[in-house]
Amino acid sequence: MTLTRAQSSRAQGRRPRTILPRPQPRTVVRPNRAGGPRRRVDALTGWAMITPSVLLIGLFGLVPVVWSFVLSFQQNDLQTPAQWVGLKNYRTLVHDPVFLQAIRHTLVYTVIFVPLTLVLSLIVAAALNRRIRGITVYRLAVFIPVVTSTIATGVIFSWLMDPEFGLVDAVLHKLHLPTFGFFASPGGALYAVVIMTVWGWVGFGALIFLAALQGVPQDLLEAAQIDGCSKRGAFWRIQVPLIRPVSGFLLVWLTINALQLFDEVYVTTKGGPLHATTVLVYYLYQEAFQYFHAGYAAAIAAVLFVAIVVITLVQLRLTRDPSEPAR
Amino acid sequence: MPHQRPIRTRRAALGCVAALVAATSLAACSGGGADSSSGGSTITVAHGYTSVEAKEMDKLAAEWNAQHPKTKVTLQFNGGNDSALQKTVAGFTAGNYPDVAYEYGSSAAQLARQPKLVDLTAKVTAPGVDWSDFYPSERQAATVDGKVVGVPALVDNLALVYNKKLFQRAGVALPTASWTWQDFRTAAKKLTDASSHTYGWAYVNDGSEDTVWRFLAMLWQAGGDLLSPDNSKPAFDNAAGLAALTQLHDMAVVDKSVYLDTGNDNYLNLFNSGKIAMLWTGPWDLSSINSDVDYGVTLLPGYNGDHETISGPDLYLLFDHSSARSDTAFKFVTWLTSAKVNLQFSIATGDLPLRKSETSLPGYQQFLAKYPAEKVFVQNLNDIKHVRPNIPDYAQVSTAVGQMVQSVLLGQSSPAAALKSGADQVSSALAGS
Repeated sequence: MTLTRAQSSRAQGRRPRTILPRPQPRTVVRPNRAGGPRRRVDALTGWAMITPSVLLIGLFGLVPVVWSFVLSFQQNDLQTPAQWVGLKNYRTLVHDPVFLQAIRHTLVYTVIFVPLTLVLSLIVAAALNRRIRGITVYRLAVFIPVVTSTIATGVIFSWLMDPEFGLVDAVLHKLHLPTFGFFASPGGALYAVVIMTVWGWVGFGALIFLAALQGVPQDLLEAAQIDGCSKRGAFWRIQVPLIRPVSGFLLVWLTINALQLFDEVYVTTKGGPLHATTVLVYYLYQEAFQYFHAGYAAAIAAVLFVAIVVITLVQLRLTRDPSEPAR
Repeated sequence: MPHQRPIRTRRAALGCVAALVAATSLAACSGGGADSSSGGSTITVAHGYTSVEAKEMDKLAAEWNAQHPKTKVTLQFNGGNDSALQKTVAGFTAGNYPDVAYEYGSSAAQLARQPKLVDLTAKVTAPGVDWSDFYPSERQAATVDGKVVGVPALVDNLALVYNKKLFQRAGVALPTASWTWQDFRTAAKKLTDASSHTYGWAYVNDGSEDTVWRFLAMLWQAGGDLLSPDNSKPAFDNAAGLAALTQLHDMAVVDKSVYLDTGNDNYLNLFNSGKIAMLWTGPWDLSSINSDVDYGVTLLPGYNGDHETISGPDLYLLFDHSSARSDTAFKFVTWLTSAKVNLQFSIATGDLPLRKSETSLPGYQQFLAKYPAEKVFVQNLNDIKHVRPNIPDYAQVSTAVGQMVQSVLLGQSSPAAALKSGADQVSSALAGS
């Protein structure tokens, strides 16, 4: 988890000024405005190189986005000619109880999933950031859930968390602890999805944090130790503040993914039981591809798009490293 | 699911606009190609069969192609029948759709709106087709608002499948064709043993059509129906609906003799491992029952002597590319679903006969000898009286009914309360289109 401003400025205050890695002045030589043939060739080469990706992103990214905005003002079943309905889809959304429920589920999921994944990833990364025998095996083990297909994960968790035959409840029962309905219970299904997805994402977060932790200069830590700082203190006061940009990236990335939760729900609960795990994208899918209310689904997508843009901008502002000048 | 990243800088956005223009013109160039290039009257048939059925389909298509060198058939795997509808609709948007598509019967009404759909109403009256030879419920499922939209491709229905060993172990008499709901409930309770996690019955409780159609069979037995005859309003908020939901409530909530499957993948494995004594299932599951499980099949338990089941006919829908291709498509589908050819398919796969006349062909005895358990299902075909309503909003109606059944099974609401809110939701689904 990222630190609050107060904590991080305190941490900065404790940093020995002399060895603090300062933001370097940008030394990029600005090309002459007038330019020359050389510059034009460079520009052309650049464009030539990115053209394939630009085309692909345009075709598979931008075109669908624009099209779905257009769709959201239509009544469209994807088969018969569409009708323009103006803002009707958006007006219906506001009064749609399932949509409002889906927003609530998505928010609850995000608010639990993101911090939990961040904290666990950081702890796992810290545990893996050491030289011990067989560390590669541990790192691999942590990363395996990330590369496991969602379908496989879903099937395995459905069995593990089966209220009757699942291993989890069997163990809880043996230990005389209360058992849970997990995916089968309207009250617990969303939390079961949280458990499953956190398991799947911690490996990814840990990998990113691990790379960041290894980028923290060793001499800073040694200097802190010489000054009598404990290992734990060095971790929270030096390493964590220094990997702030990475934490910010993960925060944004995990939030976007949480708001777009779909696969895991589709594989395990199909939005149920009794809409308990109907999140926005799942509801969108249902409206678009089961009921063929494409215009209405596009309106949901548009709302989600705007929400993600706003939330991302807010997060980027909050997690920006204060020592860096605003861009 | 692929996640799209927002594009931030202005320059990237400008580049993308340029790309958009380029991409659109590219798409415009390539759009028309697919249809015209295939030429002649070679047709594509999209289906979702796998394993034995896919192999037999390949064989039949090869047979057709050998006999008809000028009107060949290319088979195309649609990725699985569960998403056949989505795939086909996406194909229309992209301008690239098959001549023939295998679709679930419940998708018929949604695809009936498709302008490219070939209206078969006149075609099926042609002498070679023998339309009335298909079982009535199949013909009804293929008809939307009086228009024939498809040809029956495969039919399933539900019967009671039970594990004989579990009955013997619990000292319960084996089910008979004259079982009542009460007999069924009592047996399920006796077969349930909480300490060994053994259940009398299993119910697919994911709220999908799988949840709904088993309930519909009970509703019909109790004398009710899902919608009014003109499909304009719910017709289950009455004594019949209450009886069906109460039976589910009493078994799942009071007796706790039902394993509630959150997906639809678990119950068969559990049946195979002797944890579930009875299933309401159909021919599609029989091939997945382990050979060491000694099972029997009989009619569903009945209400006041009514043992009606529900059938789910799937269809071949034809989509227009040119009249020559539609002709070929219709000829191929008629051939494929003719008594002789379909029986050959049934013998290879264990799927049910589609036509009444198949049961009097000599090959039918071979079918029964190979699949003795199918006899009850074939018998059922004659006794099916209702079909699901063929309306475009069926998917939403189904969701509403699924939620209603689920809320009862989970003990979240009483049968009466669930019935009322289910009827309200079905009403608004019907009004909302």
